[in-house]
Amino acid sequence: MMKLNKYFELAKEANIEALEIYIVRNYSLGFSLFHGEIDSYTTNDSISLGARGIFNGKMGYAYSEKIDKTTPEFIVKNIVENAKNITNDNKVTIFEGSKKYKKFNCYNKELDLVPVEEKLNKLYEIERKLKESDERITEIGGVGYEEARSETILANSYGLKLSEKSNYYVFFAEAVAKDGEETKTGYKTFLESDFSKFDVDKFVNDVKDNTIKQLGGKPCKSKNYRAVLAPRVVSSLMTAMLNSTIAEEVQKHSSLFEGKLNTQVLSKKITISEKPLAHNIFFKGFDDEGVATYNKDIFKNGVLKTFLYNLETALKDGVETTGNGYRSSSKSPVGTGFSNIFLKPGKISEEDMISKVKNGIYIDSITGLHAGLNAQSGNFSLQATGFIIRDGKIAEPVNLITVASNLVKVFQDVTMVANNVELLTNATSVPSIAIKSIMVSGN
Amino acid sequence: MISKSLALDILNAGLATGADFAEIFIEEKYNNSVSIDNDKIETISSGIIYGAGIRLLKDLRSVYGYTNDLSKKSLLSLASTLAASFQGERILTVTELKKQKVKNVHINKRHLSDVTKEEKIAYITKISDEMKTFGEKIVRRSVSLGDNTQHVIIINSNGKIFEDTRERGRIYISALAADENGIENSGVGPGASKGFEFFENDVDALALARNVCEVAIKKLTAKECPSGKMPVVIGNGFGGVIFHEACGHPLEASSVSKNLSVFANKLGQQIASSVVTAIDDGTIVNEWGSNNIDDEGNKTQKNILIKDGILQNYLIDDFNGRRMGMKGNGACRRQSYAYEPTSRMSNTYIAAGKSTVEEMIKSVKLGLYAKSLGGGSVNPTTGDFNFAADEAYMIRDGKIAEMVKGATLIGNGADVLLKIDMVGNDIALAQGMCGASSGSVPVDVGQPTIRVSEITVGGRGGALK
Repeated sequence: MMKLNKYFELAKEANIEALEIYIVRNYSLGFSLFHGEIDSYTTNDSISLGARGIFNGKMGYAYSEKIDKTTPEFIVKNIVENAKNITNDNKVTIFEGSKKYKKFNCYNKELDLVPVEEKLNKLYEIERKLKESDERITEIGGVGYEEARSETILANSYGLKLSEKSNYYVFFAEAVAKDGEETKTGYKTFLESDFSKFDVDKFVNDVKDNTIKQLGGKPCKSKNYRAVLAPRVVSSLMTAMLNSTIAEEVQKHSSLFEGKLNTQVLSKKITISEKPLAHNIFFKGFDDEGVATYNKDIFKNGVLKTFLYNLETALKDGVETTGNGYRSSSKSPVGTGFSNIFLKPGKISEEDMISKVKNGIYIDSITGLHAGLNAQSGNFSLQATGFIIRDGKIAEPVNLITVASNLVKVFQDVTMVANNVELLTNATSVPSIAIKSIMVSGN
Repeated sequence: MISKSLALDILNAGLATGADFAEIFIEEKYNNSVSIDNDKIETISSGIIYGAGIRLLKDLRSVYGYTNDLSKKSLLSLASTLAASFQGERILTVTELKKQKVKNVHINKRHLSDVTKEEKIAYITKISDEMKTFGEKIVRRSVSLGDNTQHVIIINSNGKIFEDTRERGRIYISALAADENGIENSGVGPGASKGFEFFENDVDALALARNVCEVAIKKLTAKECPSGKMPVVIGNGFGGVIFHEACGHPLEASSVSKNLSVFANKLGQQIASSVVTAIDDGTIVNEWGSNNIDDEGNKTQKNILIKDGILQNYLIDDFNGRRMGMKGNGACRRQSYAYEPTSRMSNTYIAAGKSTVEEMIKSVKLGLYAKSLGGGSVNPTTGDFNFAADEAYMIRDGKIAEMVKGATLIGNGADVLLKIDMVGNDIALAQGMCGASSGSVPVDVGQPTIRVSEITVGGRGGALK
């Protein structure tokens, strides 16, 4: 690993009070098939350095991917120049270190030992089996494999030096089904670090089901429906809502939960926790400011238990950081984030839940959250697909509809939480939920 | 950034196992941004994006790798690793590299990299101060200015070297209004491939800032949009995002070449109503989505995609063009060296028609006027799309009536193109970032005001009446 002394020396000479360096090193390998041939193969080995420092009481940021002998000077010069122009009077700090850090090995060495041929052979198998799975599947849009390892290093002028290493692989496939003039696409991704856990037949079957079951989908009647939301739908809405638990949003009056701490804001059936220390591939022992993370309830039985803080927003409110200082990349400033979110499951199966809802709609996917959601009011209107629920059973598919409601209202309207927890690629573990009502616009 | 002889060695190492094309893309990009949030300068960031990508093609196969270690050892090793994924004999050796002429048509008077941070801060502060005049209802005022200067070198096994420098700047102005009715926002983000003179002379940022505040305040008391199928008049400029999503993406060779687009194999066929002519033009001087050359060295072009409703052309990169038996037409783009390039849009718009906005509004008895739109997305295989309205009004008896909020328009691209039945004469372009497999690239969307005879509108305001 590169030597960082030069950065700390130059920073000291430039009167930077404290300097923090954040380095991410990524390696990835990926390939995909089209019509039985490898049509794309990608690999990378890259490094990126982000730094921040306190100069005259203000925080300056700089980053570079050009790592050579000119880099320390570029970084230090820009930190000083940028800090000079900051007029925000928030108190800022660089962290001296937590007493203890939890460790967990989320680097699976076995994955590196699996030969590339074996990974590639799985792809051939997926493509072939998918093609044979149903005659209405006319095209395989993409079958791919990708693996990545990432190492994060955080060091600062107080002598703190932390590092964490992780790896994962992902299989993905998209199928195209045609029936007459109608075309539908369905896909699936599978994320893990243990290669032996990948089951080709189950994967192929899921992709096929996700695709075929949409055929014949039409808009349904516009009205309010009782609804069951699939795990990935719950996850998207939940993460959008969790942005309002970020303290910076509260401090800037952009949160849906300002002034609501320790009050009942969601249904009693809803408990949402952040468990960065959970032993899965998303484990994080420290945040991007070097603060030791810990598991916590954000909503407990519908009561808002905490806002999420980084060092700066915590200082502003006179509280302790919750270890949620994250950068979206080494190029971004430290903001506030969350990882490994768990929505506590109920006891009922999804099937029984559908049967209890009796008549309504099953929402299988939503798209357009970046545009169709008003983050300030929580109101949304989103393109969706799903199925009619009739007499307690899944009936005909529905597509080209919009569903409209409000983020908070969805989680207030919960009547049942199922037990079918899925760990999704966005680091959330969620089951399906049933809600009283959602406005559907179709025919 | 690397010598000719090293470039030759890298290309030839890549070609060792039978690849028929090799390319090195080297990038050094300087990013700067300043932002103000309620009178406070909160973040200023500067940084360098730096690295190289190597691409090898063999028939219909491509391999791509990238690194930001540009040492001889690292680049040669990357080329050999990539070559190892093919098995075969060398069919090509490059012996000479010649620098190609790239004419810069996007002239800048005041380079954004030469303007001090202090001057940029003074500029955004003035905009933020203008928004203050709207009083207490505007609870959050944010203005940011981001600029970048990207220097690229593209060297390929056709013996060609291309060099280009691209300079872009954009501001983003957003306002949050709040009162007892709730919280609403509005924003606008003009930008250009131009120097600081774009901000000083071309854009009336203060007027845009006032408009953003007015819209956000008006939305506070707006009713929720009703839902149902209705005729929709879509405003000019950013309204063109409908065409971008519903038609632009499915015309990209990345999906067309694999028969994964609704518009595959439809050249010469009527795919839109006869009033629709659509163009992708990467050559517009100083425009946000323009370039001198694309990211594989081809000159950018003005490509007529649809003329009078008939499909004329696709957006093509050389690699996907192989599957289609067509040549690249300057549409090959990537966010950075870290992305394998593919066919993308540049400045894409529906050309001006003959109708006036008044005629279009007058023609609707009960419907929606989506004056400006937010973002959206599309599934290029099925053509199903969605987008959100930022500023919208009901049209009643041929007149613009009450403002409504929370409207989402959904539909199918192939279907909606046939339903565009009036096209206005007020063409305008607007700037955005477009995300796809080769990353996030700057693009313009655009159109005159258009009328769609029927579209599904989703909202929380109950049934249409």
